[in-house]
Amino acid sequence: MTGKLNAVLTVLLVGCALSVVNARYQRNRLVNDLEKLATQQRQLEVDWSQLQLDQSAYGKNERIEQIARTQLNMTPLSPARTQYLTEGGK
Amino acid sequence: MKVGANGSRVAAAKGVAFSKSPVLAVRLPDWRSRIVLFGLFSAFAALAGRALWLQGVSDQFLQKQGASRYERTLELPATRGKILDRNGLVLASSLPVKAVWAIPEDVKQSPPEKLAELARLLEMPQAELMKKLDSDRTFVYLKRQVEMDVIAKIEKLGIDGLDTRKEYKRYYPQGEVMGHMVGFTNVEDIGQEGIELAQQKNLVGQTGSRRVIKDRLGRIVEDVGMSREPHDGKDITLSVDSKLQYIAYQSVKDAVAKFNAKAGAAVVLDVHTGEVLALANWPTYNPNDRSHLTGEQLRNRVITDTFEPGSTLKPFTVSLAMDKGLVKPNTMIDTGNGVIMIGGHVVHDTSAHGVINVSEVIQHSSNIGTSKIAQMLSPQEMWEMFTKVGFGQAPRFGFPGAAAGRVRPYKAWSQIGQANMSFGQGISMSLLQLARGWLIFARNGDIIPLSFQKVNEAPVGQQIISPKTAAQMRTMVESVVSPEGTAPQAQIAGYRVGGKTGTAQKVIDGRYSQSHYIGSFAGIVPMSNPRFVIAVMIDDPVGAGHWGGTVAAPTFATLAANALRAENIPPDSSVTDIIIPEHPVEESN
Repeated sequence: MTGKLNAVLTVLLVGCALSVVNARYQRNRLVNDLEKLATQQRQLEVDWSQLQLDQSAYGKNERIEQIARTQLNMTPLSPARTQYLTEGGK
Repeated sequence: MKVGANGSRVAAAKGVAFSKSPVLAVRLPDWRSRIVLFGLFSAFAALAGRALWLQGVSDQFLQKQGASRYERTLELPATRGKILDRNGLVLASSLPVKAVWAIPEDVKQSPPEKLAELARLLEMPQAELMKKLDSDRTFVYLKRQVEMDVIAKIEKLGIDGLDTRKEYKRYYPQGEVMGHMVGFTNVEDIGQEGIELAQQKNLVGQTGSRRVIKDRLGRIVEDVGMSREPHDGKDITLSVDSKLQYIAYQSVKDAVAKFNAKAGAAVVLDVHTGEVLALANWPTYNPNDRSHLTGEQLRNRVITDTFEPGSTLKPFTVSLAMDKGLVKPNTMIDTGNGVIMIGGHVVHDTSAHGVINVSEVIQHSSNIGTSKIAQMLSPQEMWEMFTKVGFGQAPRFGFPGAAAGRVRPYKAWSQIGQANMSFGQGISMSLLQLARGWLIFARNGDIIPLSFQKVNEAPVGQQIISPKTAAQMRTMVESVVSPEGTAPQAQIAGYRVGGKTGTAQKVIDGRYSQSHYIGSFAGIVPMSNPRFVIAVMIDDPVGAGHWGGTVAAPTFATLAANALRAENIPPDSSVTDIIIPEHPVEESN
């Protein structure tokens, strides 16, 4: 009787030990994934900042005005040749 | 053969014989086996003692040593906050870069062609690089704030003794247009000028740290102990509108070139919220490249320079008198032949206006008229008015280096002093203070605090003059910007405009200069429902005329017209043809 119980307990013990090993392994893997994602997040934040900067630099009014004037041959409008539409007005 | 028959084998007597052959029989003394036994025992005892020592007594030290081999403290960098304009456009932002540093002795061993390549990548002459390496120190910065793509190339060279350190670089995409507004930081990421300096506390981030266990491959497998979260700096949203800022900047820049002036400045305020929508100076600087920065470029004239505003101050004196019920817009004032004596000093107009009403005093900018109105007021009343609108007061709008200007205590005012101040002489202020004061006419007689950051709730104003007086003054200053007034060049097609010119002699070596002037203009647009107060100052124009009406007023007009268009404000006037008389009325001051 005791022999049988011992055998069962031994199997249980070994099972537990193996599951601990497995759990630790899984945890390490997940922590590692988390780290990778955090790094990626930081990199994306940097990219986002870079894109914002680019947007601001390329959208500079000075640049737009110059392109409008020289490449697109545009001129500033004046009220003299503007038709204003007002809601409810004629 | 008999074994041990005669007991001749001692070993046999003790147990097993080593050999059956008597030739091989050995006689060992007893003590030898005891020594071996003792030796083995003491060796085990030493092991046990050592184990006890390691486990029990010195375990702390050993654990520390172990930890230092697999645990690492990671610095968690925090980014400095961004500066944004009111529409969320980035005006200043930090990106990670690297500083290149060297252990000179090791680097000098490298082959010369590699060093030449390094110098090229660092964009410095090789001689300069060698000079930096010619040092006894073990740590020398070669160049700071090197961009990442260059770093990659440098690392490819594989020079021994060369290393990099992570840091941040601040970028200003709008460049010189926003220079004075945003300011800049130094290499240590500390604000030096403008908003970068004023908001340093909020912008700066707090670095964090964490302790981790790394595995054989350098991967993080576990957090240990306490970790401090990094806190990025706060983003700051300014009140400035980059479109209006560009318009203001361009107008000032063009005006300075056109009138051969020394400098120019303009500021645009939102009438409803007190926000500073644009603040432009010329000369200016590019915050991304500060290698040849001069004090002239650095000066934020709108805020730190004070000047005598001249006639732009007249509406304050006149509106105070109207508010006290001393005069009405149609009260007649005798300005005589253009010269009067006050307290033994001469006050004169540029031409004789004769008997004119109060509206015309403003329209023609009569010094004599304004002085006569000021004489009805006590110095204390005027002083209180000036002080309430913020003249002579250290401004509290959170911008570094803001000048307070100068308003002398009323007890020290002489008769002529009071008269002079009524038309803006002997009193000084910054352009921003002047613009803020003008809010009382654009609004309904109340003054509100200015803000460099976006305002979400309309501020509560402090009533200075009655709404009725403010409305009357608006009508008067609108008449200034008419073919009959002193500032016809401030007219804008399609919009009703009101404003006042000012020309002040510069004070040079304590005396009023007869050849150096500051032309200014403060105005309100559109008059039917004021949105902006705009103040323009042109310092020391040469040639085209020095009057506020001839230099500052047209600058104001260009600025305001573009600003109104940019902000989609519908026109409130059907006039599209601007009449500018050939010889406009010259103002007196």
